[in-house]
Amino acid sequence: MDRNNIGKWFKSPGNMGQKYSLHALYFCTGCGIIEIPPTITTRWDAERFGVIPVATPRQANLFLITGYVSVKTLRYIIRSYEQMPEPKYTVGFGSCPINGGMYWDSYNTIKHLDKYIPVDGWIAGCMPRPEAVFVAVTHLWTLIDKGMATGYLKYREHYTKYRRNQEKVLGKLEWPPLFSIEEENEKSREKVAV
Amino acid sequence: MVIVLVLQILFVTLLSCLVGLFLIGLSRKMTARIHWRYGPPLSQPFIDIVKWFSQTAVSHGKLFDAGMIFSLTGSVVVVLFLPFGGICPLRGSGGLLVILYLMLIAPLGIALSAGEAANPYASIGVSRKLQLAFGYELSLLMILLSLMTYYRTVSIVDIVEAQIQSGWSLVQLPLVVSGLAYLLIMPAIMGIRPFEMIQAPQEISSGPMAEYGGKFLAFATLQHALNIYIGLSLFVNLFLGGGSNAGYFLIKLLLAFMVFQVIHAVWPRFRIEQAVRCLWRWPALLAFIGLIIVWVTTS
Repeated sequence: MDRNNIGKWFKSPGNMGQKYSLHALYFCTGCGIIEIPPTITTRWDAERFGVIPVATPRQANLFLITGYVSVKTLRYIIRSYEQMPEPKYTVGFGSCPINGGMYWDSYNTIKHLDKYIPVDGWIAGCMPRPEAVFVAVTHLWTLIDKGMATGYLKYREHYTKYRRNQEKVLGKLEWPPLFSIEEENEKSREKVAV
Repeated sequence: MVIVLVLQILFVTLLSCLVGLFLIGLSRKMTARIHWRYGPPLSQPFIDIVKWFSQTAVSHGKLFDAGMIFSLTGSVVVVLFLPFGGICPLRGSGGLLVILYLMLIAPLGIALSAGEAANPYASIGVSRKLQLAFGYELSLLMILLSLMTYYRTVSIVDIVEAQIQSGWSLVQLPLVVSGLAYLLIMPAIMGIRPFEMIQAPQEISSGPMAEYGGKFLAFATLQHALNIYIGLSLFVNLFLGGGSNAGYFLIKLLLAFMVFQVIHAVWPRFRIEQAVRCLWRWPALLAFIGLIIVWVTTS
C-alpha cells in the first residue's frame, strides 16, 4: 500500500484518489450480498482500505455485482452503471456473473455479465470469502496504477455493441443512449446480414 | 490594512475548511474505534475530496450549480464572523444578529440545489433539513438572547473578551441553563446523531446528497465540514471562553467535538417528528428558563 507516498500523490493525484477512496455500490441481489455486511463491518472492516458503501450510483465509483444477474436486475444494473461518474470500476462477485455458475441453464438469468457492461475484475468462487473482496480491491489498485482498469473507456468506445447486446435481452430500452450510436455502421451491418 | 483583512479572510476560510475536514476524518476514525474496527486513516476525507475533484460530474441545471455555490458561500461568510482564537476578519459588523440570519443561507442553498435535481429522496432530505432548522432555531434564538442580555452586547468578539476577564459563560451561574440547552441542540446544528435524519443513507439514500457526484459531492462535503466547524465554534466562543490564541481555541474545539462524537457513535437516530418534538420540548424549555433567569438577575 502506497497511501502515504507523498511523491505519488503529487505525480498522479487522480489515480491515487481513485485507488484509496473506492466508494462501493451494490445491489442486495444474489447470494453474494451476504458476504458484504461482514466485509464492511467490524469483523473485516473494509473502511481501513477506503472502501465504504454508498447509497446512490452518483456517489459511487466501484460497482460490486454480488451474485447472479437476472434479466430484471440487469436493467437496473445498466441504468445504475450509466449514472456513475467516470472513472468507474466494476467487479463481478462469485461465479454466476462470470459464466452463469449454477444458473447455467436458467431461462431468466444472464450468463456472461461482460457482454452487457464492461467488467474490470472477477472474484471467482461460490461463495467468495470476504478476504477475496480485499484481494480483489488490491488487484484493482494494481490495475489502476498500471492504467489497465479501463472498463469505462471500453464502454464509451464499444457503446454501440454493448447497447445492441442489452437490447437483445431486454427488448427496447426506455432510456436514451448514453453515448452516440454509430448509425451508419449499424445500417451497413444490417445490409451485410441481409 | 486591506491586505491584512484579505489575508485574515483567506487564512480563516482555509483553516476552517481544513479543521472541518480533519474533524470528519477524526469522527470516522473514532466511530471505527468505538465499533472495535481499525478504521480509515485520518486523511480519508482529504483523499475523498481529491478523488471527487478528479471525477466527472453530472449537473442537473443552472440552479443545481448555483445553489451549491450559494450554500458554500453562506457557510464561508458565517465563518468570517466567528472569532478564530484572536482573529476575527469581520469583527466590526453585526455580530450575533448577522450570524443568526446567515446561518439559514446554507440549508436554503442546499434546498435550491437538491430541489433542482427532482429526486424524491433529495426532496425528503431537504424538507427534513428545513424542519430540523425550524426545530433548533427557536432554542438558538433564546440562547443568544440570554447571552446578549447578560453581556449587554451583540458582538461575539466582545462576549469572548468579557469571558477572558470573568471566566467561561458555561460556569457562570445565570448562564448554566442556557449552556445546557445549547449542548442539547448542538448535534442538530452539526447534523450528527441522534439528529442525522437529513442524510440517513439507509432510509432515504443520503437525502439531499442523493444526486451529487464528483465535484458537487466535494463541495457538499466541504459545506458539511464548515457546518460542523460553525456549530462547534459558536459553542466554544460563546460558552467555553473562545481562545486567547488559535492553538488554545483548536484544543477546545477538538475536546468539544470528541464529546459529541462519542454520542454520535453509539446512538441511533430519531425520526423527524420525534426530533422536532424533542427539540421544541427540552432544549426550548431550558433555553426559556435560562432567558428568564438572565432577565431576572440582570434587571
